[in-house]
Amino acid sequence: MSLMLLGILNSQAAGGGGGAYDLLETTTLTSSASSVTFSGLGSYSDYAHLQIRLIARGNRSATIADTLLQINGDTGSNYAKHALFGTGSSVGSFGTASTSNIQIGITPASTNTANLFGPSVVDILDFNSTSKNKTVRSLFGNAGSTSFIGFYSGLWADTEAVTSLLIYPQANDFIAGSRFSLFGLKGN
Amino acid sequence: MATPTYDLLASTTLTSSASSVTFSSIDQTYGDLILVVDGFAASQSVNFLLAPNGDKINGSSVAAYGSGSSAASYTTSRIDVSFFGVSTTSVGLGVAQIMDYSATDKHTSFLSRVNETEAAGGSSSTSTGMIASRWASTAAITSLEIYSSTAYSYAAGSTFNLYGVAK
Repeated sequence: MSLMLLGILNSQAAGGGGGAYDLLETTTLTSSASSVTFSGLGSYSDYAHLQIRLIARGNRSATIADTLLQINGDTGSNYAKHALFGTGSSVGSFGTASTSNIQIGITPASTNTANLFGPSVVDILDFNSTSKNKTVRSLFGNAGSTSFIGFYSGLWADTEAVTSLLIYPQANDFIAGSRFSLFGLKGN
Repeated sequence: MATPTYDLLASTTLTSSASSVTFSSIDQTYGDLILVVDGFAASQSVNFLLAPNGDKINGSSVAAYGSGSSAASYTTSRIDVSFFGVSTTSVGLGVAQIMDYSATDKHTSFLSRVNETEAAGGSSSTSTGMIASRWASTAAITSLEIYSSTAYSYAAGSTFNLYGVAK
């Protein structure tokens, strides 16, 4: 016996007001771009956490390109990251301190499987806090000619409130069709 | 302006065993879907696989998991929301992010977090990890079937919830 659910309806049309989990902004590329920035995040101070949901592909001449994050325009070596990942044949883990960015994904690039875009779901916790360093975590992966699945964490060693997020590929551009959506989660 | 989202689109709790569950006529106005499954077997081991638009052929996955004593990674030629399956006494929990499901310019990608837990704990059937999957089609997903390759049924009490996230 199988169970079939018919006629799913959109029970809650989007728009208006504010809930516990809200879409704040979306950028969908109509042409290649070297980066995407969410700025003016101070206006979202009534949220506790941010989440980025992205699905992107790069045009680097390789199968993959790292997706990287910098906060508040900080290009210094003020970040750290730790990784847990699988490649399909092996698993691994690494950590890096004093780096100039946080890795939040791996996007398929020019020589990977056609039409494959790589997703990441990225949480930025307590982004308004001015008393603690900022923590980021991301789940990402893709099943293409070069496959990868990873769960990474990152640290920005700064107690400033997060006001801007710069997302960029390891090399070259994100291509058209790549989407970057920013969400806010309410807290106390 | 902020748009409230993470909307429940459909939900079912099995009141009797079923070999599959299908969500159909999926609303196409959202950016992503999130599928939450929490189930166990009615008689013998079941796993949780996805068939977008009924397609059980054009899927692939890469997984990484830890069992409590070791970690490993593997690939499959299907869309998985489970590792090894669950029994009548263990429970499988999977949360699958289904990204840009209504897009027609890209293959659909899935990101899943999975836990398979044995009630007694420490069993070889206990594992936790993550899976990335791809449906090699540029068609929009209008239906989603959850099924087991073992041909056995999910038990009554198994739950399946589908959410929509705006874009």
